[in-house]
Amino acid sequence: MALKENQEEPPISENPNGDEEGGEESQADGVGDFEDEDEDEAEEEDEEEEAGSEKSRLAEDGSKLESMFRRLASEKVKLRVHDVLIKGNTKTKDSLIEAELEAIKNATTMQELLKAAGIANHRFHSFGIFDSVGITLDCGPPELPGTVNVIVDVVETKNPLTGDLGIFTKPEARTWSLEGSLKLKNLFGYGDLWDGSLVYGWDQSSEISAGVSLPRFKGMVTPMLARVSLLSQDWLKFSSYKERSLGLNLGLISTKRHDLTYNLLWRTLTDPSQMSSRAVRRQLGHGLLSSLKYTFRIDNRNSVLRPTQGYAFISTSQIGGLVPDYRSLRFLRQEIDLRCAIPLGFYRTALNLGISGGVIFPWGNGALSMPSSLPERFFLGGNSSPVCTLGGPTTLLGFKSRGLGPTEPRRLIRDKSNGENSETSGRDVIGGDLAVTAFADLSFDLPLKLFRDAGIHGHVFACAGNLTKLTEKEFRKFSFQKFLDSFRSSAGFGIIVPTKLFRMEVNYCYILKQFEHDHGRTGVQFSFSAT
Amino acid sequence: MDELDNQKLTLVARKPCFGLPTACPSCLPVYIYLRFAQVPFDLSFNLIHPDSDQIPYIESGAYVAYNNEKGGVLESLKEDGIIDLDSQLHAIPEWLSMKVMISTWLEEAIMYELWVCSDGSSAKKIYYSDLPWPIGNILYFKQIHAVKQLLGITKDNAERREEEIRRRATIAYGALSTRLGEQTFFFENRPSGVDALFLGHALFTLQALPDTSVLRSKLLEHSNLVQYAEKLKTEFMEAGSSSSSVPRFPAEPSSSTSRRGPSNWSSKAKSKPKREKTEEEKTFRRRAKYFLVTQLVAVLVFLSLLGVSGGDNEVDLDDEDDDYNY
Repeated sequence: MALKENQEEPPISENPNGDEEGGEESQADGVGDFEDEDEDEAEEEDEEEEAGSEKSRLAEDGSKLESMFRRLASEKVKLRVHDVLIKGNTKTKDSLIEAELEAIKNATTMQELLKAAGIANHRFHSFGIFDSVGITLDCGPPELPGTVNVIVDVVETKNPLTGDLGIFTKPEARTWSLEGSLKLKNLFGYGDLWDGSLVYGWDQSSEISAGVSLPRFKGMVTPMLARVSLLSQDWLKFSSYKERSLGLNLGLISTKRHDLTYNLLWRTLTDPSQMSSRAVRRQLGHGLLSSLKYTFRIDNRNSVLRPTQGYAFISTSQIGGLVPDYRSLRFLRQEIDLRCAIPLGFYRTALNLGISGGVIFPWGNGALSMPSSLPERFFLGGNSSPVCTLGGPTTLLGFKSRGLGPTEPRRLIRDKSNGENSETSGRDVIGGDLAVTAFADLSFDLPLKLFRDAGIHGHVFACAGNLTKLTEKEFRKFSFQKFLDSFRSSAGFGIIVPTKLFRMEVNYCYILKQFEHDHGRTGVQFSFSAT
Repeated sequence: MDELDNQKLTLVARKPCFGLPTACPSCLPVYIYLRFAQVPFDLSFNLIHPDSDQIPYIESGAYVAYNNEKGGVLESLKEDGIIDLDSQLHAIPEWLSMKVMISTWLEEAIMYELWVCSDGSSAKKIYYSDLPWPIGNILYFKQIHAVKQLLGITKDNAERREEEIRRRATIAYGALSTRLGEQTFFFENRPSGVDALFLGHALFTLQALPDTSVLRSKLLEHSNLVQYAEKLKTEFMEAGSSSSSVPRFPAEPSSSTSRRGPSNWSSKAKSKPKREKTEEEKTFRRRAKYFLVTQLVAVLVFLSLLGVSGGDNEVDLDDEDDDYNY
């Protein structure tokens, strides 16, 4: 019998039409000399065939399988992998597949072998370039006892080009976006995935980008990603500037807990409206950003969209100015997110608590009196749910996007017709260098069974947040007491409706505390996030 | 000027170098205009936006006058009633034509010298020295292309256009030289917008363009224009620092870049005294030669009157004049 490892089936499966040449028996006993056992079992089988009863043969197979499972559970079944054969790869390079089979080659027991085969199968599937992968364990050559041959059967995708259209949310984006992309798989046979995409974000941003992902690059275990993108973002309404950037993003390390990316970006800020405030005017122009970003994440909550148990901790550190050129943007940025979900036992009620903080500061000569880079600062506001959004201090329910924090008056245009100065045409939100947000959210099932089945649930929440400037020697005037006293806050309740495409929240927010020039609004608000 | 009662003016211009308070040819006239008006102002620099048409701009509190509105910063200041040096000059027909001639023909000539026919070292220093190298280079080549389009220069007509631009600059210098004569200013013996525009052009041509520049040599042919430039520079830009605070570069941190300013400034300052010395020397030599020649002529006349046969004693003074091109 050949022992097959297949993605869809459980780890150990029996092939009812397997070879009768004692393969099953040899795997079952495992210990010692397969050759002898082959001979013994072959005799037994001959006897059974003489008996001519299908039912008794099956019963025999069943009992052998049982004894095999017992052995596997109780003892270490020693064996050695003799050879690994790869079949079915016309385009994919052998080296790519062989690199995943190291653990299999080094397995010394059956248990290790099965576990390694399971992991390898999962890895092959994650490449996205195979339609199916089968790993078969067969007995080794008769002259070498205790050996196993591993046969890897891959079926490559017939159509390398696929298209995609959907609504997504990326970790670094603040809102959801509509994305259309074309993917080209395995162009050079190294498991390379090429994609080109067009993204239109809800916050008036648009991006065109192309990227490549290599599952194995020069011996690195984690996939390597490279992406070139042209991004355009319109902040004229809030801060009187438009941002355009051409960048290269390299994903160096990407595992469950650690993420390291390098960013090289040419960013241009312009003001076509010619209404910007002084603080924004001083930042208009070109800049080169060369930064390294490290993210450490632990998230053992039971759900991302409706966590009822567990905790999460994310720390993101970014250092900019990594080229020797002193003229590139130099800053240090740190964000921390802490989330905790406590189940309360009835009606699937859970209390979610969270706090997020972030700080940015420039470094280098004269850093103490320099302003921080405007697009890198923190901006608070927006209606995305703080429970689901993890990515630094960004949201405060009840406040509009970029709706609170330091502002500066925009340019004054003299109205000559009436001879007096016209009203100042609004204020620019210029963001802050230190931001803190906190929230408490109690979510519960609604009494109607219809709602419960659909996943619709209710919540009651309270949020608070604050934003302040530290650069240009403002940190000397900073005091914790003043910072705490100037926290904005809101509270409310609402209903959350998860659908297939997105997650919708309908909330009634009441602003408890806001300051002049903040844009908090008491009333009913809708918010959407991608599922 | 009601909004200026409380707030001081700030002029945001491009970086200073070549011994000029701001080395950009479109920012320098605005600076000079403010100095002529004897209005106190702060000077601030934008080092990261070389391709912006908003710069130079003047701000005061929430009021801003950009260069790409209402025909320019100077026009905005006039229209908004803040500073107007040309209030009675509109009636003089020559005033407008001189102004237009400087703003078109001479400006084109400078653009040509700076971007098309030179090696770009001056342009790179003024506009791109505070941007990271790859960005600076890409913007520089983009700008050369834009200037060629603006001046209508293609591969086929490059020589023809060059000749046309140079010819126009020569005509303009001639007209301006004739108009100026021996006066201190172009109109009514007081500074005006035309003076600010031409002085900015002249100082840039004399100090920022290389010695091999054709435009520079054409300007040097008109001694009265050069003297005009030197005199006004000494009077308004170097001596009068009490009326405005011209900060040592770098001024307020208008961008998170360059700290190499001071060394730039001092290296340019060193070359300036050298050049002045050379001109003084030349003037001295010229005068000394005139003196010697005059003495020789006097001796010869005396000897001839005494009856000693002189023969062909005429000295041709014209040849000597040719040696001293300035």
